[in-house]
Amino acid sequence: MKRVVVEKKILERNDESAEKIRQILRDRGVFALNFMASPGAGKTTVIEKTIETLKNDYRISYIDGDLDTDRDASRIKRLGIDVVQINTSGACHLDADMVLRALNQVSLDCDLLIIENVGNLVCPATFDIGAHKNVVILSVPEGDDKVKKYPVMFNVANVVLLNKVDLLKFLDFDVEKVRKELKEINPRADFIEISAKDGYDMDTWFEYLKNLMD
Amino acid sequence: MHEGAIAESIVDILKQIKEENGLNRIVKVRLKIGKMSGVMVDALMFALEALKTEEDVIDGTEFEVVETDVKARCNLCNRVYEYNDVSDVVMLCEQCGMPLDIIEGKEMEIIDVEGE
Repeated sequence: MKRVVVEKKILERNDESAEKIRQILRDRGVFALNFMASPGAGKTTVIEKTIETLKNDYRISYIDGDLDTDRDASRIKRLGIDVVQINTSGACHLDADMVLRALNQVSLDCDLLIIENVGNLVCPATFDIGAHKNVVILSVPEGDDKVKKYPVMFNVANVVLLNKVDLLKFLDFDVEKVRKELKEINPRADFIEISAKDGYDMDTWFEYLKNLMD
Repeated sequence: MHEGAIAESIVDILKQIKEENGLNRIVKVRLKIGKMSGVMVDALMFALEALKTEEDVIDGTEFEVVETDVKARCNLCNRVYEYNDVSDVVMLCEQCGMPLDIIEGKEMEIIDVEGE
């Protein structure tokens, strides 16, 4: 019997690809965001509103990771920006190799690259895809217990957008509890309450994003 | 279930190790999985078991998982906090109120391989 000491990261290949992505983005002067959330939290709507507001001042490209359809990509395409769709064929997350391939197709002649990950609060958190910041969206109808339930995802967030706050008056949702639990699992994360549908406090998010890019 | 993708990555690395070290068979593999890695050990074992039928390199291979607790350090006072349950993790120093840095518990590694 022979023992071989390996001590190798299982996701070493993914991490190497993520590093290549960072290098490409650096060379092209592109700032990249990785949007993660459960299905239905409002990722595509937040992204739509963000592009509508910022597209006159910033050149924006968009990569969409979706299990099967191109519905999200079609919605964003209507805004007249460059869109690349990644069908993950059932995979529950984007990995760095998928994004690296998409970078060959998407226009990198842009200031901001928005990557919409697959709707899932678990799997995407494990895979570094080379983006500068992770934006995690939590929506009010999902319930105020999600931060503790999905600590790995909220731990990797740079900013958490609490979406659909227009529904707070109808639902039993404790915003302070979410703030407190987020501070416990990730004290460095920023927290912004928004309603992408009616525009509530979206300006705070837009200003926040502009500050990140400038 | 991203453990399927993790299992495939493990198999890819094992193929390389088998070839590099001239092994005929991989008997045992030890993995280190941090409790904050986002990997469910049961799901990973299930995925590896399922892959055994299509990947000769892990045919009959025993997998052992060493789970690591979450350790986080305060950079101001150097105190280290240890949590064996992820739901208990608090990333703030009780003394200084400063954010902690995770120093252990996010690992996903192949520790070693036994073969013949």
